[in-house]
Amino acid sequence: MFHVHYSRFLVQRIAFLVVGNVLLLLAIFVLVQDGGSFADVILNAAPNVAPTVLAGLGLTGIICAGAIDLSVGSIIAVAGTVFGVLVHRQVPPFVCYAGCVATAWCLSVLNGYLVRGLGISAIIVTLAGLAFYRGLALILADSAITGFGGNISIQDDAYHSPGKVYAGAILILTIAAAGIWENSSKTPSKWLALGNSEEACRLAGLSSGRILQTAYGAGGVFLGLAALIYVTRIQAIEPARIALGFELQVIGAVILGGTNIFGGEGRYIGTVLGSLFLYLLSEFLVYAGVNPYFQEVVAGAIILFVIGLDCAMHRKRKMLEEVA
Amino acid sequence: MRYSILLLILFAEIGLFTVIGGQRVDSMSEIGRYLTLYFSDILAQSAPVLLLAFGMTLVLMTAGIDLSVASMVALIACVMSSFDPGIGFWWTAVPVGLVLGLLLGLTNGLLIARLDIPPIIATLGTMILYRGLCFVVMGDLEKAPFLDVPGYEWFGQFLGAVFVIAMIYLAAGSYLNGSRWLREILMIGGNRVAARYAGVPVTRRLCEVYAVAGFMAFLAALCFTARNSSVSGSSLTGLELHVIVAVVLGGTRVQGGAGTWIGSFLGVLILSVLDEGLRGASVWGEKHLPFKISHIEFLVLGVLLAAGVWMNTRFQDRNP
Repeated sequence: MFHVHYSRFLVQRIAFLVVGNVLLLLAIFVLVQDGGSFADVILNAAPNVAPTVLAGLGLTGIICAGAIDLSVGSIIAVAGTVFGVLVHRQVPPFVCYAGCVATAWCLSVLNGYLVRGLGISAIIVTLAGLAFYRGLALILADSAITGFGGNISIQDDAYHSPGKVYAGAILILTIAAAGIWENSSKTPSKWLALGNSEEACRLAGLSSGRILQTAYGAGGVFLGLAALIYVTRIQAIEPARIALGFELQVIGAVILGGTNIFGGEGRYIGTVLGSLFLYLLSEFLVYAGVNPYFQEVVAGAIILFVIGLDCAMHRKRKMLEEVA
Repeated sequence: MRYSILLLILFAEIGLFTVIGGQRVDSMSEIGRYLTLYFSDILAQSAPVLLLAFGMTLVLMTAGIDLSVASMVALIACVMSSFDPGIGFWWTAVPVGLVLGLLLGLTNGLLIARLDIPPIIATLGTMILYRGLCFVVMGDLEKAPFLDVPGYEWFGQFLGAVFVIAMIYLAAGSYLNGSRWLREILMIGGNRVAARYAGVPVTRRLCEVYAVAGFMAFLAALCFTARNSSVSGSSLTGLELHVIVAVVLGGTRVQGGAGTWIGSFLGVLILSVLDEGLRGASVWGEKHLPFKISHIEFLVLGVLLAAGVWMNTRFQDRNP
């Protein structure tokens, strides 16, 4: 076991998130005023929050390593389309699940190879991926299903168990596994090292390309699980619109959780708390009776505000470090 | 060198889609007439993208990026559409749209320059924020007051579109070309720290650049609404990628410090011809392909973006 080091900034952020989450829960409890539906809010949390948390865990590693993945939404679209096509062909459920997870993992690994191989910034590569994978999902759905009319309907309950029944179990097990792995394996420390200074990493004899590849590979595993829960909790998969704009939600949760957008600092627990905060906030807005169109604006504004605050703070810290 | 390659691609594309689309052009004079008609149509059609590309070129020169342009155009159009049609539209809605465009652009600029948020994250956020505001303004409605405004449809016709494009690309472009302001912008993109030490007001210049992008969004909203006559909350979704890919194709480096407007202009034309061609090729696609041919567009955009940036990084063209 390595000694787990939390910087003062991260400790503050995690404390803030815990307090914020408790306050939001209390506010929702007061607004609902009925024990039964409050229990519903808690029980429904797992399937709703799981995709963001799981994709966020993957992205935490990638952002810690100084890269980014903007194509998570489109990757979920491709994985969902593969899942839908397999269901449409009446393949047994477990093969469908495996297909969905494997597709997301492969695309994430492909992202890693492209970022390494092309030698251009991860932002541009994954922005290109954002468009490319969306088109891939559409073409795949259109050519694999005759008479494809825009969405793939999945009515059979047998295909919904990961999203509707086991979401909470998958979520808790994955978080626990990620936490143990983070504190016992050397790999996550290497991501942090790469995010802090690529130059120092190379001089220390570490291969920066390989470290980046492991970040995308591990991210792919988490993204696969996220995609699985995302697509099995809904009744119809619409390749053109599914998970549209999901990337900002995930990036927002990760940054809110205290991960440095420039890399080199971050913890899984922060991302979990950050996603929970965003979910509770949206529930709070629902129960406070805010216009649904306005909810999106409020959530977007809060994410932007937090990211802005973080960037300004990191800039100040960097200046102080330079002075010291 | 780059321009001749771009022109070659453009004409090859037109030829390919003419053949696929089943158009018959026999004699030389007919080819001339066909091309004139084709280009006047393409120009009027792609005026919004051309205008946005002008601003995006500036933004990319500073090593930034602006993903929120399409949402900005939609928001400006939505706000303008909630005014009463009639002659009064010209001195109520149009100035409001102009101020709104500048404000939205300035918001981007302040987020990026003052708070130091990476441009792609900041504008990804404002893209979703502005799109949300579109729906707050419009709900699920679709409004079309624009054609009841006297003289408004001129912006959507060939003459009006060409006038606006010429004003921007020829007048403003040649005025700015080689100016101190543009050199300072390029310097910020090349090396921000060096620019600051050389006395360039970096924060101010960045805000100005994003405000120019906002102004272009206003002009694009004028041209778009005059041509399409109606607007809804989800108008123009995904246009930002078109603009970015076009500018990258034109040789502007995403790492900043280099770029030309002529290249961006040609890049937009290439993408517009592709767009139009894919629409025309739908009959051919149904016969030969198992999927709708218009779905290819996303794939092509993604590949062009990655390939364009890679080429621009590898083969740096000092004097195109």
